[in-house]
Amino acid sequence: MSATTVAERAPTVGGKKSLSDSALARFFLSPSVLVMALVAAFPIFYAIILSLYVYQGRLREGFGGLENYTEALSSSRFWDAVQATFIFTVSSVSAEFLIGLGFALIMRQVFIGRGITRASILVPWVIPTVIAAQLWYFMFSVTPGFVNYALGLDRFNWLGQPGWAMFSIVFADVWKTAPFVALLLLAGLQTIPDEMYESARVDGATTWQRFWYITMPLLKPAILVALLFRTIDALRVFDLPQVMTGGSFNTESLSILVQRYVVQTPNPGLGSALSTLTFIIVLIIGVLFVRALGRDFVLNVEDE
Amino acid sequence: MRARQRWLFATILAATALVAAGCSGTSPDDEGGGDGGGELSWAIGGSEAAPGGVHREVAEMWNEENPDNPISIERLPDDAGEQRQQQSLELNAQESGFDVLGMDVIWTGEYAVNGWLESLEDVRGEIEEVTIPGAFLSATWEGELWAAPYNSNAGFLYYRTDLVDEAPTTWDEVVQVGMEVAEQENIAPFVGQGAQYEGMVVNFLEYYWGAGGEMFNEDASEVLWDNEIALEAVEFMAEANESGFYASGFNTFLEEESRNEFQSGKAVFMRNWPYVYGLASDKAESEIAGDFDIAPLPTFTGEGTISALGGFNNAVSAFSDNPEAAKEFVVWASTNEEVQMLLGESSLPPTMSSVYENLQDDPVMKLLGEVLPDAKPRPPAPTWNDISVTIQQEIFPAYNGEKDPQEAVEAVGAFLEESIQ
Repeated sequence: MSATTVAERAPTVGGKKSLSDSALARFFLSPSVLVMALVAAFPIFYAIILSLYVYQGRLREGFGGLENYTEALSSSRFWDAVQATFIFTVSSVSAEFLIGLGFALIMRQVFIGRGITRASILVPWVIPTVIAAQLWYFMFSVTPGFVNYALGLDRFNWLGQPGWAMFSIVFADVWKTAPFVALLLLAGLQTIPDEMYESARVDGATTWQRFWYITMPLLKPAILVALLFRTIDALRVFDLPQVMTGGSFNTESLSILVQRYVVQTPNPGLGSALSTLTFIIVLIIGVLFVRALGRDFVLNVEDE
Repeated sequence: MRARQRWLFATILAATALVAAGCSGTSPDDEGGGDGGGELSWAIGGSEAAPGGVHREVAEMWNEENPDNPISIERLPDDAGEQRQQQSLELNAQESGFDVLGMDVIWTGEYAVNGWLESLEDVRGEIEEVTIPGAFLSATWEGELWAAPYNSNAGFLYYRTDLVDEAPTTWDEVVQVGMEVAEQENIAPFVGQGAQYEGMVVNFLEYYWGAGGEMFNEDASEVLWDNEIALEAVEFMAEANESGFYASGFNTFLEEESRNEFQSGKAVFMRNWPYVYGLASDKAESEIAGDFDIAPLPTFTGEGTISALGGFNNAVSAFSDNPEAAKEFVVWASTNEEVQMLLGESSLPPTMSSVYENLQDDPVMKLLGEVLPDAKPRPPAPTWNDISVTIQQEIFPAYNGEKDPQEAVEAVGAFLEESIQ
């Protein structure tokens, strides 16, 4: 699509003496737009098309319209997965935010061993998620049971009962991604000039007041970016529940459900419908975030 | 200006080419196996495929004899369901990454119907001649031979000889003795395969069959599922879970987790496959070496024994670049007495009948000789995977008190009816 636009426009633009900045920018961006269209848009539209067909196993039976969507939306398994995904997202993102903020504030302070502290806080984030998941599976599992040993519990079945299974998964996710949030927030913190704190101190502001009236408002854009990234990521969670519980005990996320219908018991139509629904949910939440983010930037500009 | 345009088109072209290259993609398995040379790759999972495992020894043996067509193992996950997913992804994309497929006995029908396998009809005679009938049957679908039997399998009851005098023959007895001894010793009464996966289906079916239930008639044209008997089995499991007869964590255990618990002395009884025998007898690894024995799985009536028939067959992928060599390998692994003896010595039940005569003094082989004739196959129908997933989704929550058992067994029955239509 974008290729033809460019091709049509190029000669007329080429006739002028020079390109305007924005036209030039568009030219330079067009290859990436094309790549994005091929890599991102094509699979989305292909999935939407597949979701309109009815399948028996792997074999296409015919056009079904919205049949797959009615089937998905009327199954309790779908709503259970939505619920599990939201529970996971809300609890993991809020815990990651609080812990990440704490880490970031610690990392900002100048003290000896700063480099090592920063590096060690980031270690969990560097570990691939599947490996982290496998690691925490062994930690929480009754056998060999490291967590039980460390806590002095006898044989507590973390992964084998509702509630605690989700808790273990959220715990592993927080362990893994709180450093990432910390990194984003630290970047935000470092843009806040020290002078502001100094003058606040001169005016007699307490530590809490400095945090609440200087750090928080100025950190807001960074917070929203961090929350946006984490929320979108958390809504698509797959590895952790897949490895740690296999989706049992109300830990089946939307992505696991999609994988079940695409790979485990193949039904490309229903699987695509489910992945389209997941896409829509993630998209809506993403748009809401970007709106909040955009408005915030605008407000900041006005304040200044 | 023209230069700028040309530059632009060149960039777009390059980007398109890049994407196209990305799409045509190379499978990660292309590096060694498959293309060009005579190298073969053997996709098989489980602990025996790990370094030091018996599958590795078999591969080495083949490589010594056939340096022109060496085989390497592509290790799949431990969970049979995940093994199947990996293979089906490769095969569904018609990729040649796997030449030889280590297939669980229940996948034969599905793979054959999907056209993923090379027929082995032309070597049927030499395989059938040396193979035990049950294992041979598991490699056929609608009368045609699709795989070469490699190893068979059946469930055993492992028990601690230092804690229990004699192996119980009914489940009620196992529960009674297990609970009593476990309390004295402060360990768990029973471990097995209780996580939500194929292994749990096997454990459940052994209760269901042990209570007199059946799934299908002989040619799988009629459903014989009995809600009453199934309910009895589910309620037994729910009660076992509730009362603590099942070890804490039973509902997350696969084969290896149960073995780990049992051989570190933390359980009185265990349901597991024969492969554990060798490992649990190894003093370096096991704390109960010499203090355990094996017995047939109990039933509810105390009469006979019931086990699910397990095992793996090797098949030739229809998309292999080297099907001739792959076929030679699967036939060799199935009919070479040395290979089959090696399996037997590693407590992996061979499919070659003569090995059982040769290894009569081996306790595992002796017990297998008793158990295998009564072992029941899960129907290797193309729909087995869907049936198994349904059982996992219904029976697992039911025995964990998350779902009404009556509803669960009725749902399974309804699905079985649907599956034969």
